Amino acid sequence: MAVIGSSLRRDLEIRRYPILVYVLVPLASLVLQAWLPRELGRFAWFDLPLVVTVYFALGRRSPIQGTVMGAVLGLFEDALSHRAIGVNGIAKTAVGFMAASVGIRIDVENHAIRLLLTFLLSLLSSAICIFIYRVLLGLEYKWQWFTELFIAIGNAVVAVMLFPLLDRLQIKDY
Amino acid sequence: MESFFTRYRNLVVLLVVVVAQMVGLAVQVRRNTSGQSTLNTKDQSGVRLIRLWANAIVSPPEEAIHFMKMGAIGLWENYIDLRGVKKKNRQLEKTIGRLRLEQAELLEDARQGERLEALLKFQENYVYKTLPAQVYGTSGSLGSHVFYIDKGSADGLKRDMAVITPDGIVGKLQDVFPHSAQVLAINDQTSGAGVILMPTRIRGILEGNASGQLEVVGVLADERIKPGAQVLTAGDDMIFPRGLPVGVVEKIAPDPERVGFVYVMVKPAAHLNRLDEVLVITSTKPYFSAQAKQDIATSQALDGTKAASLSAQQRNALINAEDLPTLLEPNVPADKQPLFDSAPPALPPQPPQPVHPDIFSPPATAQGGNAGQAAGTGPEQGAPAPITNAAGNGTGKTGAQAVPRRHR
Repeated sequence: MAVIGSSLRRDLEIRRYPILVYVLVPLASLVLQAWLPRELGRFAWFDLPLVVTVYFALGRRSPIQGTVMGAVLGLFEDALSHRAIGVNGIAKTAVGFMAASVGIRIDVENHAIRLLLTFLLSLLSSAICIFIYRVLLGLEYKWQWFTELFIAIGNAVVAVMLFPLLDRLQIKDY
Repeated sequence: MESFFTRYRNLVVLLVVVVAQMVGLAVQVRRNTSGQSTLNTKDQSGVRLIRLWANAIVSPPEEAIHFMKMGAIGLWENYIDLRGVKKKNRQLEKTIGRLRLEQAELLEDARQGERLEALLKFQENYVYKTLPAQVYGTSGSLGSHVFYIDKGSADGLKRDMAVITPDGIVGKLQDVFPHSAQVLAINDQTSGAGVILMPTRIRGILEGNASGQLEVVGVLADERIKPGAQVLTAGDDMIFPRGLPVGVVEKIAPDPERVGFVYVMVKPAAHLNRLDEVLVITSTKPYFSAQAKQDIATSQALDGTKAASLSAQQRNALINAEDLPTLLEPNVPADKQPLFDSAPPALPPQPPQPVHPDIFSPPATAQGGNAGQAAGTGPEQGAPAPITNAAGNGTGKTGAQAVPRRHR
């Protein structure tokens, strides 16, 4: 009975969105991620596809959907850069999976939790990227820890501002 | 088995997706004989399909946003913010006039340099054909300093073409799509360009570091390298033509990995983070625009005027030369000229015989020309007589040698 209750509770908390939102929001994140750094220069300390991956993974609470969303967005990010295709893909795959797995267990409505979760997942994504580049692939890749930190902070701030806006797009049953 | 997949389907899907991407990575990356891993660059003629797809999906809305922004800016600048335009226009017209004059002078220098290069059989050219392009987007990743322009293979662009601005070099074309192209900026970690530090002419390799700054590596420590020194392209990378501005030396720091070497931090001449329009060098063959050709024609006309002036100077010099003393008599036929006189020339007079000869005295030999003199000499005439000609004018010249100056 407890299991059924828990499952029902979980099902009730799963958010649903119109199909267009699943297409347009990730696309917008890719387009803006490609366009905004040109306007902001080297102060573009954010990764919108990662924020969107975390949002949908937390909202849907489905590790598979989080995994697929992260993989697709990561691969597109890689394809837009000149680097190896798959590095961001693997990192965001892991992030999507982790976010969804965490979302099942904790309340993600709280802004502080969202902020902290996005910050930690951004650091995880950076760590996976660096690990793949330097250890797995053996490619030369220079990086600076404070840049990764700033990106994680930027993602957390963007998430706190963006998540409430995206919340308005969900389908409500009442 | 079914229950296993059902129970662990999340993990299974994760593993499948990750492994698939790892296989994809393994296909792309190669390890060379020296043990270094590199991205597979064997076939650079095409573009990976996934890059093409990503570009096809992301570029249109990105370009739309960019052109909407440019339209808004244009609306503001062209219709709303027009105060002081007339005054600015007058100033610009003056500037254009001055620049045209300077351009004509520079073109003349360029032509001279071209001739010298042809003489030396140098294959480098310095007048290039360029194609302007608009920058509309970036890769979106701080670790990947690439940006996208709105011209592609349909406009004649090819991989590895140099991208510049009037301020300095920007990068090179990486992936070229039909209507857009990816530019690898010079401040990317994987970018490289041969540069020369002025005025020492020390050569080095320009690279980007982790924070997107430019640095010249492979430079031996040299106290002559000072901040503010200009950095130019060396032309030895077969991408950037020689002599294009790169930036100025900002800071010199010792290389921690190699003793005796330094990192030279360079401030880029082009605003790499705020690029709007760039020029792609599509050809390094000499190319002159219509205006440049007109200036060259003007320059050639000026050359003709100079030649005419030189010719007049030469004519005047000839006329003046005719006024100077000459050995030829203009009114006398050539065979009657005094210089062609067949009569034996008058011998110079001999000195008088000494009254008391000594060992220094010349022997008293009788010669026809001075027989009379020798006979008529006395002690009172012992002083050396001036050398005189037959007419006795005392000028020291023979009558045949002296020609009166002709006056016009």
